[in-house]
Amino acid sequence: MGKYILKRVLQFIPVFFGVTLILFALQNIVPGDPIKLIGGGGKAMTPEAELNLRIRYNLVQVDENGHAVLDENGDPMPVPLMDQYVTYITNLFQGDLGESYQRKMPVTEILANKYPYTIKLAACAIVLEAIMGIGAGIISAVKRYSFWDILVTLSTSVLVAVPAFWLGMLLQLIFGVWMKEWTGGAFSLPISGAGGAASQYQDWIHYILPSITLASVSTAYAARIMRSQLLDVMNQDYIRTAKAKGLSNRAIIWRHALKNALIPVVTYIGVDFGAMLAGAILTETVFNWPGVGYEIYRAITQRDWPIVMGGVTVVVVVVMVINLLVDISYAFLDPRIRYGAPKDKS
Amino acid sequence: MAEMKNEFHQPVVGRRAFVGGTLAASSLAFLAACGKKDAPAAGSADAAAEGVTLNFSINNPVCIDPYNVQEDQGTQVEFQLFDSLMKYDFKAEDLKPLACESFEASEDATKFTFHLIEGAKFHNGDPVTSADFKRGWTRLVSPKSAIQVDRGPSQIAYHLSQVKGYDELAAGDADDFAGLSCPDDLTFVVELSAAYADFPYVCSHPALAPVPAAADEDANAFYLAPIGNGAFMMKPGTKWEDGQYIDLVRFDDYYGDKAVVDGIHFGIQKDIETSYKEFQAGNFDVADVPTAQIDACKAEAGESKDGYTMSEGGRMLLGSEPSTYYLVCNTTVEPFNNADFRKGVSMAINREAICKSIFKGTRTPADGIVPPGMDGYREGAWEFAAYDVDKANEFLDKVAPMNGDSRGIEMVLSYNQDGGHKEIMESVIGDLARVGITVTSDTPEWSALLSKYDNMDFQIGRLGWVADYPIMDNFLYPLFHSDSLGGDNKSGYSNPEVDKLIEEARTIVDDTQRVAKMQEADAIIGADLPVIPLMFYTHTLVGSSRVKNLYIDPQKKAYLARAELTA
Amino acid sequence: MLEPSPTQRAGMAATADTKGVKKPEEKSRTLWGDAFKRLRKNKLAVFAVIWIIFIALVAITADLWAEPWLGSPTASDSVAMATTSLLPPSAEHPFGTDPLGRDILVRVIYGARVSLSVGIMATAISTAIGLVLGAVAAFYGGIWDTIIMRLADVFLAFPYILFVVAMIAVIGQSLTNVFIAIGILGWPSIARVFRSAILTVKENDYVDAARAMGASDARIIARHIFPNSVASIVVYATMNIGGAILTESSLSFLGMGVVPPTPSWGSMIQAGQAYLQTAPWMMIMPGLAILSTVLAFTLLGDGLRDALDVKMKDA
Repeated sequence: MGKYILKRVLQFIPVFFGVTLILFALQNIVPGDPIKLIGGGGKAMTPEAELNLRIRYNLVQVDENGHAVLDENGDPMPVPLMDQYVTYITNLFQGDLGESYQRKMPVTEILANKYPYTIKLAACAIVLEAIMGIGAGIISAVKRYSFWDILVTLSTSVLVAVPAFWLGMLLQLIFGVWMKEWTGGAFSLPISGAGGAASQYQDWIHYILPSITLASVSTAYAARIMRSQLLDVMNQDYIRTAKAKGLSNRAIIWRHALKNALIPVVTYIGVDFGAMLAGAILTETVFNWPGVGYEIYRAITQRDWPIVMGGVTVVVVVVMVINLLVDISYAFLDPRIRYGAPKDKS
Repeated sequence: MAEMKNEFHQPVVGRRAFVGGTLAASSLAFLAACGKKDAPAAGSADAAAEGVTLNFSINNPVCIDPYNVQEDQGTQVEFQLFDSLMKYDFKAEDLKPLACESFEASEDATKFTFHLIEGAKFHNGDPVTSADFKRGWTRLVSPKSAIQVDRGPSQIAYHLSQVKGYDELAAGDADDFAGLSCPDDLTFVVELSAAYADFPYVCSHPALAPVPAAADEDANAFYLAPIGNGAFMMKPGTKWEDGQYIDLVRFDDYYGDKAVVDGIHFGIQKDIETSYKEFQAGNFDVADVPTAQIDACKAEAGESKDGYTMSEGGRMLLGSEPSTYYLVCNTTVEPFNNADFRKGVSMAINREAICKSIFKGTRTPADGIVPPGMDGYREGAWEFAAYDVDKANEFLDKVAPMNGDSRGIEMVLSYNQDGGHKEIMESVIGDLARVGITVTSDTPEWSALLSKYDNMDFQIGRLGWVADYPIMDNFLYPLFHSDSLGGDNKSGYSNPEVDKLIEEARTIVDDTQRVAKMQEADAIIGADLPVIPLMFYTHTLVGSSRVKNLYIDPQKKAYLARAELTA
Repeated sequence: MLEPSPTQRAGMAATADTKGVKKPEEKSRTLWGDAFKRLRKNKLAVFAVIWIIFIALVAITADLWAEPWLGSPTASDSVAMATTSLLPPSAEHPFGTDPLGRDILVRVIYGARVSLSVGIMATAISTAIGLVLGAVAAFYGGIWDTIIMRLADVFLAFPYILFVVAMIAVIGQSLTNVFIAIGILGWPSIARVFRSAILTVKENDYVDAARAMGASDARIIARHIFPNSVASIVVYATMNIGGAILTESSLSFLGMGVVPPTPSWGSMIQAGQAYLQTAPWMMIMPGLAILSTVLAFTLLGDGLRDALDVKMKDA
């Protein structure tokens, strides 16, 4: 077991460096000068102010007096890329993700502000997904070919094909705009933001529509997996034996089949939770949600590289750790898995 | 306001996501509360305890410390806390002393002497002296100042780039701002490196405020809870709560007329829709109105007569702002190096339709680069900044005659897709198609677009400009003077005649004569048309029924000290 | 998974509904003929095929009838705008109009061109890259396998939409660049699928036999391995098209897709966001177009999988 975990952890290393290297490469080939963009880019800074910003963010070489080192043309000399990368990695291991160009705040602080919203939203969505997905999957499998089965199969197909941002807007339209009209202004759900000090709504109400949107696609998958797993298990010998022994259908499903069929579903939901913690830029965009996904997306468009680098690195590590935990627990739950067996799954 | 409005560019986030997101994000219906709220909003709870508090909705500011106030949200707060030397009175169309009694300019407009008001105090009780102005201005420029070491360089140091000693101080080679001197506590002398008769207008910028010694002693604390000389002070014991609120109370030792209301609660909202929703729920006294709600809001609150003053008769402000939305032509390459072509393009664009159909009248068609409200604005200043298809065709025929329904000219229009520019540009493209010009869109993100502009790697693109100070110079010098090439003059326009007129104007101390000279330069630029003005911005602010009287000037600075509320 | 990559979606959809499926090895000579017969019996799949053909025909022939009937999908008429902007659905404008007075239906019709071409081209690109890398990894194994699969890990570790956005930021916005970005970033899942398909086939005796007879690697791949994996690739690619269409719509929704005034379903929804309350038809119709098209590709993929008897490995 320990060996297996160690192996998996070692596999993190190439992924981690690969991701940071790709980010670093992107940073240097994407057009657009992040420093000129500070202050919105609307009005040109003076050359001195611009240079001072480059010095602050370690983009140009400085002498011991803190002055920029100039080349023969009198231009400041950029810090070599390799040095920038090494500095970034070194600082990263000391818990320092740098300072946002745009917001002048430590990236750790920005992420610490955003992450709670992402985690809370993901938690709501995952609860929804687990209840709805597993429930619908069981009904569908137990009452195979019934009206309910067809309903579940069709609606999961549709949900998988729905663009999440569109579903979010549709929910806003129905539960925000139309419901208000139908009830004469008496009732509607909040359609944006995460509540806060001056909000007229209680905080939790803000979570309803975004978490439904976020959970929609994965709920459909969870239901499909649940259904097929349960059907699979029901076909297996030990269940047939139980049936032959005269156990009631209900008892078979609840006592025997479900236990085994649940394992892959729970695994899926676990991995999905990891993915949700990576933030959901579309859901967050539609609902104006102050989460980590939209923050990183905005940072890309603004070339606020410290946030992009720090944010993606954190997100990737979180996802990898959750996936590892899921795999380990999977191994605990399902004795058929041998540790150390070659696996493709990341 | 060092930056252009966010509507102009990308969602500069954290900056003015508020308005930046307006069109991109949903302009959704306000929604009623779905439950009764037990406690009133944070601000109103305080109000009950401490008298009359005005609740003002803002977006999270970039900075409320004068050293780096740039967008209108941060400026709004800072403007209440600090008084600069001068202020521009838009109603009287006149520059007036604020923190000084008077000033005089040298004949050649290179030296300005300000006489400060005696007895003025900072919120911490320190007297306001000329050294405090020097301190405030120095920390804005010097990379060695405590605040810049702590919070990074200021992006708005350009306000003072005309002052002698700027270069050395900004490069970190000097510790002293050579152009600023303090012969005594109440006399503040500014020497410029070149003539600039409009400099007192520059001094009306809220960033050029005095700061007490405390600003250097604990720069970080000052950054979050600035100590100023204005009519309001930070509520004792509070600071700027990022993303939440900023509370101010009346400063009772203020040297001028003391504020009428007891305090201001700046509630920080994430987006304009939420903010307006809260406004409708009674949690704000002043808020921005989403475009989709303009008509309904106008009907309910009534439109203010002068566009800037909220009163019982009309609480919705739609007065114009000193900012212009325009297309910048690259005058150094085909086809926009041809003035006739630029004029043809300009006169083919139906500005009225964009303002009415897309903006519901919250923009007005631009008739020049200088917007209304500026000293020197003339209606219809630029002949070719008008919609006239026939004339457009005349000009274009000179360049490329119509052949069938096309002139065989293709042009590339560069703009960023976000911030609601897409529809405006699509309308422009439709107009140009009707005069036989095929337009291709080039839509990089804002940052990449800026790089293209800087490298002159474009044909025609979209930009906006917001005045820092209400003077023509603030449009003409940065946008058209050849010194600004490589900076804000992105059209590549360079006309020795214009340069000369602007430079001459800068040396004229007399306001009327200076404005006349600027208008001469403006007329030549208008005839050359290196940029194609499209629209002027207007306010979209509304006040609650509590607001009896509140003036918000064209630059969006609210005169909250004079605000009156019904209790 | 939330907002999964197209290939992730396709992979999961594929894993989800397989029960008691036989191994794909010994296939009859009439694999495709049998599959076609089976597909024809699947009503949903038939309906999906009809829908896809319908959409494609509408998109291809639009110039002939849609523009004359409903007006230009791109050009606006600023003079008429005051009276034509934001009209609700009516006989004249079945889907209503946008703020510039353009007909939504004609824009939805032309938007199909963007969606279908991105779906197909992006899938072609990811399949091509995925096939080559998957084949190399599986066939040569060892260090190649390790490098390619670790690279796939790195690509999959990235938040997918952010990766595509960053890619577009690098190469710029245009229709071609959209399918290049989506195509390039979609390879890892297809490489994995193909790799495991090859590994399964490779164990078979006839491959050993071919090798013993001195067949070259390329020949073995081309003659033995590819034909025996093609079924899973076809299924996978079909589902991937739907995923790529979704990704394109997300990109356009974020303002990172095709350039205006070219209509794209995603950008139409984005434009409708500001008018959700006053003109909901702006976002409803393009959304239904995406939904129905992606659904059709998913159902067709499901149908093909059942018909071809493919068991999808996890991706």
